[in-house]
Amino acid sequence: MARLYGDSDKYGDQCGTPVVEAFHGAIKELVRRKLAESGQDWNDFVFGTAFELITASDFRAIDQKLLDYGHRYVWSALKSQQERPEAYTAAQGVGEDLATFSFEHPEAPKAPADAAGLELCGCGDNVVQYDTDLVGTARYIRSSAMVLTYLQNGVPPGTIAVIDDSGGTLTAPILEQFTGVLCAGGTVRSHLGILTREYGIPCFMNSKLSGIREGDTVRIESTATAKTADAYQKGVEMTGRVWRVTK
Amino acid sequence: MKDITYTQLLETNNLIQQNTDLTYWLCLTRTVQESKLFPVSPYMILSYFMCFYRYPSLLRKIEQHMAAEEIGDRARNMGIKIQNPAMGWCLPSFYLLGREYLIAMGMIRPQDAVEDVIYVMDFWKRFELAWHRNDGHLTNRDFGHRAQVLPERKLQIFHADMYDCVEGDPLHTAAQGFMAATSQYGFLVSCESRIALHNQGPYKLDDEREMIVRDFMDLAEGDYPWLDGVAADMPYNNLTVPMAVKGCHFNIIDDWGSFESQPEFKSHHMVGVGLYTSDTLSEGHTPVGMGSREELTRTFEMLAQKAKDATTKLWQRIAGWSRDQMVDAGAITYFSIIKDLAHVAGCYAAEDWVMIDERAERFRPLLNDEYSNMSLWEILGPLSNPTQRTNEYQMCQHANTPARMYSLIPYSILKDGDYTRTVGGLAPGVSHLPPKEDRYRTTQGVLSLAEYNRRAREFTPAVCGEDYKFLCESWLKYHHTTPEADTLYRLEQRDSRRLRDRGAGLSRADVEALRRDA
Repeated sequence: MARLYGDSDKYGDQCGTPVVEAFHGAIKELVRRKLAESGQDWNDFVFGTAFELITASDFRAIDQKLLDYGHRYVWSALKSQQERPEAYTAAQGVGEDLATFSFEHPEAPKAPADAAGLELCGCGDNVVQYDTDLVGTARYIRSSAMVLTYLQNGVPPGTIAVIDDSGGTLTAPILEQFTGVLCAGGTVRSHLGILTREYGIPCFMNSKLSGIREGDTVRIESTATAKTADAYQKGVEMTGRVWRVTK
Repeated sequence: MKDITYTQLLETNNLIQQNTDLTYWLCLTRTVQESKLFPVSPYMILSYFMCFYRYPSLLRKIEQHMAAEEIGDRARNMGIKIQNPAMGWCLPSFYLLGREYLIAMGMIRPQDAVEDVIYVMDFWKRFELAWHRNDGHLTNRDFGHRAQVLPERKLQIFHADMYDCVEGDPLHTAAQGFMAATSQYGFLVSCESRIALHNQGPYKLDDEREMIVRDFMDLAEGDYPWLDGVAADMPYNNLTVPMAVKGCHFNIIDDWGSFESQPEFKSHHMVGVGLYTSDTLSEGHTPVGMGSREELTRTFEMLAQKAKDATTKLWQRIAGWSRDQMVDAGAITYFSIIKDLAHVAGCYAAEDWVMIDERAERFRPLLNDEYSNMSLWEILGPLSNPTQRTNEYQMCQHANTPARMYSLIPYSILKDGDYTRTVGGLAPGVSHLPPKEDRYRTTQGVLSLAEYNRRAREFTPAVCGEDYKFLCESWLKYHHTTPEADTLYRLEQRDSRRLRDRGAGLSRADVEALRRDA
């Protein structure tokens, strides 16, 4: 078997995650095999016959091998899961199960309802500090089908969109209609953070939530100090709170 | 074929290392980019492979028509995509990320395609030095995250002609609405990336006010096939908004073209706005709706509505796409972020910029969401690919770990000659998207590509011509009373409402006085 340049690496060993290690290990094995089959030295192979000998079919076989071992990929774009359901983990909270779905972050702060009926159920990084806290109705928005429904029927007034997508495209045609946003990902500088700032919509990014169901009345502490780039760089916790309003 | 020199390698490795440090800081502090709509990481990685295989050939093709530094000089004169993030970060880092992925996979070695690496980094350096000529830096990071690119003569016009506004008045509301709607449209046009948006500055207007210059780019029917039809009503491809603020200081304008301020920027800080369009066929920035405060208000409202309409149409188109189409569009958006280099040089070809190179296309079956997300995280975050690890005494900038994002070229090649020179020329491309229709919105109307290229090759903005291109800010300091300086300023002032024919002698205070007298 041919040896690769990286096979004598003094400092590097393995990738940090199993799926990357599995893929890169398999690709290196493929390159070793194809180099040996070519009978060429590396300099003739790398930008010459390698283009013909290493093909999409070879990479497809690597992907299939991991699936054959029983691995299922974690999806991030719903389209990926919908087109290849056999290759990805199941999608939850994007269809009829929405009524019983909730984000459950293991680090979400929790506390029983206080005298005012405010039950602590999460926190997040405040994008912009406002003069008052915000109260509204939580509505999960996690798929283009949900967006299309709201695009056709309108977003109900007072909607606080609960989103796990920190991008600015999934909710693009309806974002302006939100009263507030709780986003389970990203940072205050993510695209959704930038857009809510431009539209003047209170927003928490990187929200750690637990127990908020579709239709719950929630209050977000939009009077909290906005999180800064410096705070991210230094790892400083700077969050606002999220409560469910129980009375 | 020239031998590679020690000096070339030293400089190239320095430029690679600068991009390592810059990229780590940007990725650490600026954002997490993700989407439930677009497979973002898969398209990003595909684009990196495209950049590695195609950029060397395409940049050499461009330089057959115009040198990188001349394009950099032209770019200062307009608000098109070859600013940041395209040139400050994407050109070198997309290329280097493609290289690093292939090294991590064992597909290439750090000493492969060495002439390409040297050339791409040198092209980037020459463009950046020209674009940053007025502030004297290579990148915004070099300048403490700041970009003071524009000459006084243009800044005076932006300053003089902008309209004051306060939160709640019709102009303020309209301008804010325009920037929100157009930012959102820009994210969608760019498949979730921020590359349609750019900020530069800050520029000081007085002790209390600063100005940044905001660009919104590639909005109309132009290079992207997915805008054919849905963007037909967008009357301008590029729009520039000089924006004055009071009570906040822009302490970061980064090489992605995004900003940070102290205190945090809120809409009430905005106290002045203007609006311009420009492209490679325009004599710099042309005012849009700037005849009166009322006209500007109506123009912002009209453009915001057009952006919203186009957003809805485009979103509906994209929602019906297959995953492969989404990956293609995103990869093309990223890869082609530097395409305006070819427009300025007059050698743009759709097959060069909106197709997936077949050498990169091979990797598509690997690019499921999980591998893409995790491998991107590894290569940009913990730097945990084995090829990124260095000896244990090392402490990389920002993270203090023994790692380097982008592999350097080993100097041993100067001793043993064991390296390869280039990936080779352009290879054919494929795409799952409909072909681009031959319509390009420019400041000279809607043109065919052949006509667009012809006009670009024949056009030189007056201030970029042989008589003026070296009359820099250092020269102006001592020659502002000369006829040459006066003519140069009058050229820039030709469309200015308040400064037309005022010439080169005005100070910032004079400009402010003219505004107050109006």
